This record gives sequence, structure tokens and C-alpha cells, in this order.
Amino acid sequence: MAETKINKFHDDEDDDKLFYKRKSIMLTPENAHFYKSKGNLISLTLKNEDGTVEDFERVVALRSFPISDPDYYISIREPDLRNKEKGAEIGLIHTLADFDEETVKIINEELSLRYFSPQITKIYALKEKLGYIYCDADTTSGRFSFSLSGASNNIRTLEDGRVFIHDIDGNCFEIPDPSKLDKSSYKKIEIYL
Amino acid sequence: MLPINKLPEDIIKKFSGHGINEEDILAALKLDLDNNGDFGEGYLVIDTRRRILARLCVSLDTYDEFGLAEYVDPYVDNFVSSNCLLAFKLGEGAVHETADENGGADHGDAVSVVIAYCTNTCKRRLFAFVNVWERFLKGEVVGEDDPVFDQFNAKCPKCGTVYANQDRRICEVCTRRKGLLIRLLSYFKDFKLQLITVLICMLVSSAVSLLTPIISGSVLIDWVINENGKYHAMKYVYIVVGILVLMAVLTLFTGIMQNRANAYMSTRVTIKMKNDIFRAMMKLSMSYFNSNPTGRLVNRVNYDAVRIRNFYIDGVPYLIVHMLNFIGLTIFLFLYNWKLTIIVFIPVPIIIVIFKTMLPKLWRSFSKQYRRSSSMNAMLGDSLEGIRVVKAFAKEAEEANRFYGYSTRLFEANLKSNLISLTIFPLVGVLIGFSSQAIWGFGGFMVMNSPMTYGTLTTYFGYLGMIFGPLNFFSTFTNLLTDTINSAERMFEILDTVPEINESKAPVEIDDFSGDIEFKNVNFHYAPNRPILNDVSFKINPGDHVGIVGHTGSGKSTIANLITRMYDVVSGEVLLDGINVKDISFESLRKNIAIVSQECYIFRGTIADNIRYAKPDAKMDEVIRAAKSANAHDFIMNLPEGYETCIGSGYRSLSGGEKQRISIARALLLSPRLLILDEATAAMDTETERLISEAIDKLINGKTTISIAHRLSTLKNCNYIMAIENGTVAERGSAEELLAQKGVYYKLYTLQNEQMQKVVSGE
Repeated sequence: MAETKINKFHDDEDDDKLFYKRKSIMLTPENAHFYKSKGNLISLTLKNEDGTVEDFERVVALRSFPISDPDYYISIREPDLRNKEKGAEIGLIHTLADFDEETVKIINEELSLRYFSPQITKIYALKEKLGYIYCDADTTSGRFSFSLSGASNNIRTLEDGRVFIHDIDGNCFEIPDPSKLDKSSYKKIEIYL
Repeated sequence: MLPINKLPEDIIKKFSGHGINEEDILAALKLDLDNNGDFGEGYLVIDTRRRILARLCVSLDTYDEFGLAEYVDPYVDNFVSSNCLLAFKLGEGAVHETADENGGADHGDAVSVVIAYCTNTCKRRLFAFVNVWERFLKGEVVGEDDPVFDQFNAKCPKCGTVYANQDRRICEVCTRRKGLLIRLLSYFKDFKLQLITVLICMLVSSAVSLLTPIISGSVLIDWVINENGKYHAMKYVYIVVGILVLMAVLTLFTGIMQNRANAYMSTRVTIKMKNDIFRAMMKLSMSYFNSNPTGRLVNRVNYDAVRIRNFYIDGVPYLIVHMLNFIGLTIFLFLYNWKLTIIVFIPVPIIIVIFKTMLPKLWRSFSKQYRRSSSMNAMLGDSLEGIRVVKAFAKEAEEANRFYGYSTRLFEANLKSNLISLTIFPLVGVLIGFSSQAIWGFGGFMVMNSPMTYGTLTTYFGYLGMIFGPLNFFSTFTNLLTDTINSAERMFEILDTVPEINESKAPVEIDDFSGDIEFKNVNFHYAPNRPILNDVSFKINPGDHVGIVGHTGSGKSTIANLITRMYDVVSGEVLLDGINVKDISFESLRKNIAIVSQECYIFRGTIADNIRYAKPDAKMDEVIRAAKSANAHDFIMNLPEGYETCIGSGYRSLSGGEKQRISIARALLLSPRLLILDEATAAMDTETERLISEAIDKLINGKTTISIAHRLSTLKNCNYIMAIENGTVAERGSAEELLAQKGVYYKLYTLQNEQMQKVVSGE
């Protein structure tokens, strides 16, 4: 197992455990085998460089560039239980498409839940009151009403024209291309872009 | 049922259909995502009788049960917009061991299972639900008034309604929109005389302006100048012209009176509003300032009050006058010649249609322009503030390019709104022009065929010219009104927001604080999903010098924030001399506790003023003594104006270490019973740090001191050290004891020691 021992002049056995920190490696189809866990989440069997094999009942997938490059640099980590030594990165997947279809499917399944940002398809109402904006909209995940505290910090237009909206609770919504919304929806959102 | 979510009648029925009785439900959580993670309606309940967790998904029509003995150690996985509640499903026959000291049980071959999804909207309730679940398993009884429910059940202290938005504590019942304008009027109640003067002046000037066309038209032309007129004599010309001059003078004087009364009133009202806003702002808790950028708050103090003033000074009085004028003018116009008036009103519907369709476009483009100009300003500020970095990386040209991008976008928006306004207004002008040309024509016919005199036509034209004034005013008034209401709402938002931290109604004064501090089962978080302190209990005896070490973000500074009551605990108690901090008066707290924090802020002013900030009546020799203890005296004396040197933004800038020494002097001057040094010497060289810590040790003899530090050398004078990790006090004892424990402290010690060794060996 690849360990980084920070301590050099203390050769105590106990120290190894204390100073052990997992070293993140690149994950490829050769060294990592992902499969569905019994709880319908992601399990991983990892072949380390030194030939040892590790099993993870559950791993978590995170995107490094969720907005611009969602399918590259995916970080695979132990679940963060907010306990000691948990939540460490096991490794990075450079290109998700290098893996077989089944793996891509189960990882994408979790990623799409984790980066749940429903796309707005129709805006029924958008009103400004007391400095807050109240919105009622149809999304790809169903109809939802939410409110924003001010437009300037919570509606973000990217260079490529995509719009991200963050509501007061911290939920995120996306409009892939505002100009493709129907006319009345576009009119409502237009002034904030 | 505990106050997390209430169950609707039909849902209770559905649960009882599955064998869950209402009285057995400990707590219920409403979910807004279904089992697939899409928007939907679902409920999660804890059944105490059958000891199960039941999940009902209304939108997918599913029902599932999870045995509490089988599904253990729930935790929340925090996603971007949503949250996932998971638990460990134990293998068959496995017995769940209680969690060890560090909170993590070894789950062996247990399987992680998703229990439910919900968006961030339900996040706080979800965490409360998990909290209740865990405490139920431990056999604890959770009461309805448990502090864990406070975070989403906060109520308006005036009327008792639960706030609709818990982060923004404004009662919707108490702040009704309609009441706003009336409430604003209360600012004018001390200026009744001025208000009446303004009103009388306006009525007089409007009466004069209504009379002028009659006198200059019908009277002067038809009665005096006309050969057949009743008063066709030279002297009457003088008299009438004299009257006209007098009227002009009267208008001038009423105008001056009105403006003076306005100026007297409006400046006072504005300053009162600004003072009120600032005072209310000062009372708000730290969390408010953390979530609102300074720039926005400055704008509120500066512009909102001015906008409201404008509304009452330049809006309301004119509205009244213009309305009276408009009604009077319409009546006059119809009385004088209804046929001509109909011609006048022909273009009105067209103008209304143009305004209706074009004006919203114009406002939209104006607001776009406004937004783009503020984002350009933000970029400008950002880049100028970071000018040091810009220059260090030679990015001047790139920054200029970036600015070019922003300014171009502003230019485009500007151009568009100009194009629109330059289309609408000339169009309307031409339409009005047409109708007045037509009236000259028709009026001319009428004068020639004599049903109308030339004087009447002149008077008529005088009135006609006046009617567009009110029309123009009305079209802008609605905008003024919305702007004002928005400003008023923002202003009252600050005035009405109830600070999260309030002084107790019957505050306890502690005059002779001994320095005894106790934390009892304290839990704390800044955001519900990130627990900072986890069931922390410890006691610090009077006179102790305690060191606190730990990783960044481990909760060291939070302990200081809780003792000084910058924030309130989520649950548990912080006791000073056995009294809960929540019951101690702010005055006693601030007088007895001084804190030197990581960010030491220097106000604009002299060094002496900065040092005696907390004790303005301190004598000069006290200031010097404090500065000497903080090892600041020498560097201060080397400044050209000694203690009178102006420092702070815009004046002489100090180095990080100098600022810290001033802050320490500021705290020492207060001679507090409890001194908290939160990384107070981090920016100093080791030599200075040693000098200061020696001086402080002499000074704090017998007083309680808490030193928070990364650098262990800072803590060498401490009686004992507490090591904080993962929100708990992991270790406590003298430096030697902690080293022997080989835990957090040992790790820090070894790492720092190794760095030193490297320096020594020149590696």
C-alpha cells in the first residue's frame, strides 16, 4: 500500500497509523472495478500498485469541474461521515468514457443525483418583492416554486449562455439556453441576464 | 408529534392504513423529492411502538419500512441542491455495537442504503429529524421546546407567527405592504407646520397657474385689447399687466417658501432615517453581516433613505397638485370648447397604447443597463483592490481587456435604452404636435366664424399646454412608487429584523467576574449541515491560562465566539461564573471579556483613539502602559506624530504585526477578567511574540486567559492545553501529558519539531 510517512525521526510503530494518509492515485479500468452495491450505490474493488486489493462497500463520486467538464476528473472518495480519517480521496478518473458502459451508467446515476440542478423549462411567474424574487417554474424534475435573495448574486450567466440560478435555500437550477424558452418565460427572466 | 413537520389528515389516514397510529409517531418529516430524486411529495415518520421508520411517497404511491434495529447510524450526504439520507443496513444476525468515542462505529459488512432524498429547502428539518432519530435510539426524551427545533421554528416576537423564511426574520404579518407608506409618514410627523406650508404653497401656485391663462387670454385680449371689450382703455392694460406681474411674483415667493420648508424638513427626515438604519444595523448579529456584503449595506444606508425622501418631497405633494390641476384643466377645457377638447383627446388613446407597449421595454432595458453598470463597477473595484496582484503578475493589459468587455456590454445596453427612448418620446411629441396644429386650424375657423373669441382661444391654448405636465408626471409616478416601496421594504427589513442574539429581558450584571468558564454539552454549527462543536463539555477555573490547539476549522475560534456571545449555542450551555451567558447583560460581558481575534481591524483615526476604542475615557498614561505591554510603544514612538499618528484606510498603513500589537494594547487597556487571544501573535516574529507573552503573563497574573494558536511555542506558558478535533475536546492536560498520549497534540508537536530539525540540519 502506498503510504506517505511524514515522520522521519520517530520510528515508533504507533506513529505509522497516526501519520498515515491515503495517497490518491489515477483510476483506470485496469486498477479499478466499480459495481452496484447491495444498497444500490457504488462499490469499488481497487488493485493497488503493490498488488494488494482493497474493497470499498461504498464510494462517492464527485466532479472537479461540474459546470464545464462534467465527465472528466471525477474524484472517487470514501464517504464523508465526518468521522476520523474518512472522506479521503481514493483516486481520480481522468476520462469517465474510458470505462465500460455499465460503470459509466452507475457512476453517472450517482453524479446526476449529486449534481441535481433541474433545468427550467417554463416560468409561470417571476415576481420581485421586498428585494426578493419569487419564481414558480416547470423543471425537468417537475414543477417547483422557489425564491432568491436578489438577482445580482444568484443569477449567474456563463460565457456560453447557460444560466444558473441559486435559490435562498441553496438549491441550484439551470437554464441551458434562455433564448430557447417560450416567449413569455423569456420575457420574465430577460432583465436579469 | 415533535414540531418538525405536521402531517395532513389524509396522510395520517394513509399511515394508519399501514398500521401506524398517529399517537405512536414521534416525528414526521415532509420530503420534497421522491425516491428517484425528482420533485414530489413524501413523508418519513418514526413509529415508536413498532420501532420502525416508515417512508410514504405520495407522488410515486409507494410505502416502505425500515426497522430501527436493522438500519443504524444515519448520516446525511450533502449534495449540490439536494440531500440524501443514508443509513447502514446491518448484515443478517449482526448486532450493532454502539458508536465508539470518535463517533464512528465499525460497520463491518454493513451495507449503505438510501433512506430518502430532499432538497436544501428541507435541509434543516432533515437534520433535526436525524437528531431526533439518534436520540430516540439512545433512549433520550426530546421535548417539543428542544433547541434543535429553534432553527426553523423561530417566531416573530411581536405577533408570534413563525417566520416564513427563517434566515430572514421579518414577520409578514407585521410588515404589510400597505402599511409601509403610512409607516413612512411617521417620519414626517414632527414637521406638521412645514407640511402644511408646503401644501398651501402648492395650492396657491396651482391656483395662480390656473388663473393666469384666463387673465392673459380672455381678460386681457377680449375685455381690454379688443375694441369692443368692456374695459377697452389704456389704464386697464396697465392694471391687468400689473396683476399678471403680481401673480408671477406670488408664484416666485410661494416657490421659495415651499423650497425652504422642503429643505428644512427633508434634510432632517433623511438624516433621521439614516441614523435609524445604521443604529438598527449595529444591533444585528454577526451572521447577518456574514451574509450581506458591506457594499450592499452601505448602499442601503445611503440611497434608500434618499429615495424615500424624494418620494415624499418630490412625489406625493406634486401628485396631489397634478391631480387637482388635471381635473381642473379637463373641466376648463371642456367648458371652454368641448369640440376642440375632443380633438385634443383623440391622440390620447394612441399615446396610451404606445406607452403601454413600449414603456415596459424601456424599463427593462434601463434595469439591464443598471445591472450591467453595477457589474462593471464590481469588476472595477475588484481589480483596483487587487492591484498589487495584478502588477505582480503583470496582468495590466488583461485587466484592461476585461474592463473593455464589461464597458462594451454596458455600452450596448445603454445604446439600446437610448434607441427605445429616442423612438417613443419623439413619436409621442409628433402626435401631440399634430393635435395642436389641428387645434390651431379648427380654433382659427371658429374664431373667424366667431362662435369663439381670439382671447378664449389663447386661454384655451394656455390650458392645453398645461395638461401634458400632469400626464407626463403620472406616467413616471408609478415607477417612483415602486422604487420607493422597494427602498422602504429594504429599510424596514433592517429595522424589523430581529437580531438572533438578544440581551435577556432581565439581564444579570456580574461586577466581579472571577473568570470561571464552563461548557456543558455544547453543540454548535454555523450552517446546519456542518457541525462545528459536538457535545463539548469542559471547565476552566479562575486564573487558568489555557491553550487551545487544533487544525484549521476544528472549532477553536468558535469556542471564543461562544464565550463572547457573538453566536448562540445550538444546544447546551455556556456558563460564566455558573450563569448562562444568555442571561448576562451585554455590558458585563464586554466589560469583563476582551478578545484579540485573528482579524484585527484598525479604525481610521489616531493610534491613541484606536487603543482606547473600548474605553474612550482612558488616561494617556494608561494608553502608554497598554502599548508598552503589547510591545507597541517603541514602534509608535518612531512614527512622526507618535500616538497621534493617523492610521487606518487612507492614512499610514501598518504591518500585520503592528496591527496585532495595537489590537492587543486595545484589549489590555480594558484590563479584562478574561482575555482571549485568538491567534493574536501569528503575524509577529518569534522575538516580539516572546516579549509580548512575557508582558501579558505579568499583566494577567491571576486572571483567566485563553490562547488559541497553531504555533505551539505560543502556548508554552499555559497551565494546560486542550486539543480540539472534529468538534470535540480530544485531549486535555499539560504539554508533557499530551505528548505522552500520542494524539493530536503529539502529531502537531512532531510536525513542527520536524520543520525545526530541517531548518537546523539545512535540509
